[in-house]
Amino acid sequence: MEEYRQTIILGAVMAYMVMCIGVGIWAMRRTKSAGDFFVAGRGLGPIVVSLAVFSSTLSGFGFVGGPGLVYATGMSSMWMAICSALGYATGFYLVAKRIRMVAEVRDTMSMPDVVYARYGSQFARLLTAVTIILGVLGYLATQILAMALVLQSILSATAMFADISLLACVVVSSAVLIFYCVTGGIIASVYTDVVQGLMMIVAGALVVITAAHVFDGGFAEVSNILLKADGEDVMPFGTVGAMASLAWFFMFGLGLAGQPHVATKMMMNRKLSDNRLILPVAVFGYAIAAMLWVSVGIVMRALVLGDVAMPLSAPDEAAPVFLSTYAHPLLAGIVFAGLFAAIMSTADSFLNIGAAAIIHDIPKAVRGRSLDNELMWARIATIGISVLSAIIALGSDQLVALLGAFGWGTFAAALVPVVIIGLNWKGATARAACAAIIVSLAINFAVQIWGIKVPYGISSGFLAMLTSMIVFIGWSFLEKPKDLPRDIDRIMDL
Amino acid sequence: MKLIHVVFGLLLVVAGITGYVLLSVPPENAVGLAHPTIAGMRLGGDGLARLGSIGDAPFYFQIAVILLATFMLAMGVAPKRRTRGFWLFLAGGALIAFIVWASLYLGYKHYLLTGETGLFFGVPVPTAWMLGGVWGSFALFDIFYAVAFRRYFLHPDDERDFEALVAEMKAGGEAN
Repeated sequence: MEEYRQTIILGAVMAYMVMCIGVGIWAMRRTKSAGDFFVAGRGLGPIVVSLAVFSSTLSGFGFVGGPGLVYATGMSSMWMAICSALGYATGFYLVAKRIRMVAEVRDTMSMPDVVYARYGSQFARLLTAVTIILGVLGYLATQILAMALVLQSILSATAMFADISLLACVVVSSAVLIFYCVTGGIIASVYTDVVQGLMMIVAGALVVITAAHVFDGGFAEVSNILLKADGEDVMPFGTVGAMASLAWFFMFGLGLAGQPHVATKMMMNRKLSDNRLILPVAVFGYAIAAMLWVSVGIVMRALVLGDVAMPLSAPDEAAPVFLSTYAHPLLAGIVFAGLFAAIMSTADSFLNIGAAAIIHDIPKAVRGRSLDNELMWARIATIGISVLSAIIALGSDQLVALLGAFGWGTFAAALVPVVIIGLNWKGATARAACAAIIVSLAINFAVQIWGIKVPYGISSGFLAMLTSMIVFIGWSFLEKPKDLPRDIDRIMDL
Repeated sequence: MKLIHVVFGLLLVVAGITGYVLLSVPPENAVGLAHPTIAGMRLGGDGLARLGSIGDAPFYFQIAVILLATFMLAMGVAPKRRTRGFWLFLAGGALIAFIVWASLYLGYKHYLLTGETGLFFGVPVPTAWMLGGVWGSFALFDIFYAVAFRRYFLHPDDERDFEALVAEMKAGGEAN
């Protein structure tokens, strides 16, 4: 079977992509309005939503960039993953119920709609939409880069495509993504998420078993190799250190609920009471799938430091190289398809919220109403965002995970105070919301543009998020809050 | 004192500790060092030296974050539903998170001082506290959500009130 390894892997990935295209065509028939395109008419069942929530959270950032970061820096980045239990708790305690209620009462389609409903400010809606576009471009670039890297690693192992370029891989993988997102909108997105989520759970579970058997002594031997070679890398804060790790825990743990691609899914469930099932399924699904993140990264690091394998040319190759070399061909096929699943499930969510921001939220904020023929413009915007993100992906020289962390930080810093705190505190004001978003964007982008190195590896996203939370609450304390609309006021009492 | 004041105070504590760390002089390899021969790989180096200029700031930082997270979670439950039982659970959850965090941090400090550590499930004990303990301590809050959903998070009375609101809106009742 070994001689068919590449054929099996390629076959599994092709089958997966054909499935995505099929779902796109099927969903196109069910997508008749902008509401169907953006929020699936708020009629999804709990299992669909829970798998969509978790698969959107764990992306190419986690499945490709995560193992790469563990390979490069040891355990540091695991703080981004273990905070998921807190992240989902924050999302469901603070956001899920109220955002779903607001969606039903105000017929909202996006997070900027919710922000407008809460604060009554078109400027706050506009800033939220702009934040979403900026974050989407950075984050989607991560996904496209991850997809292309995985596809390149598969195709370059075949004789026919040995010299295939990264650009060609970006074009091929993006074409599939664009097709099903443009045709089927969020309906295609969430139903592919179901398959993708299940594949990620299976992939995570099978990979951790495989990783445990690479060395005869299992993970204990892996740990002993690393303890001997460095030691810090396999200890809880990795090579980057305690403050960087804990800053990531803060940003990812408290910031998950501010991710618009996750929070938007919380508007789509059929019944409020479904949240009772959605949270545990999402948490445990994520936990199993995320085992791939740590197990592949740490084993690849031990293989290289233990002189068993050659060093990787780039950390992001950790997952593809591990699967191509150490996994059973059938497992490698499933997991490679799972990698694509992880990447695409997040990318399609970004395309959806990005398109909503451009053709629904910004026009509403600027001229008080959305565009005519929203559905057509949504499809055009989806293509435009994809192309722009692909250009960013090709032009960036950053690791997949670091590009993703920037996108996550942009969302978390700008939207956590405005949405998480704002939906749970009547004293929050519109001016404070706008100030918090502006401050967070200024910090995040200043650090990025001027390449400022924050001491101790502390993430700029964390600094921006902490500052924006303080600005938001502090500014609100200084103002007398306006009376809330009656429906929002009643929702916030429940 | 309202919950929002506690949350604001804890954010200032987190900011204060972060400021203290940022103002300290970072040791030479504060974020590790590049591997001498393997491109893209970093090593941790002397972990004790890396903590030298900031002491136990990370320990107190995370305690503040655990408290902040707990009080923020409490904000998600309507004030009328925050019963004694609810606060008891939150206090218990936070206490477990503290114990896990203290075990992790003290185990790590012990390793830095002695160079010795045991293994648990194939990973060093402090790392096991991180992977299983930190995740697990917050997963308790997720389990609590599912178990006590109807009592605290979507009480049947609240659901009825919301349905009444939706009915009013559909019947043409003004919303704003």
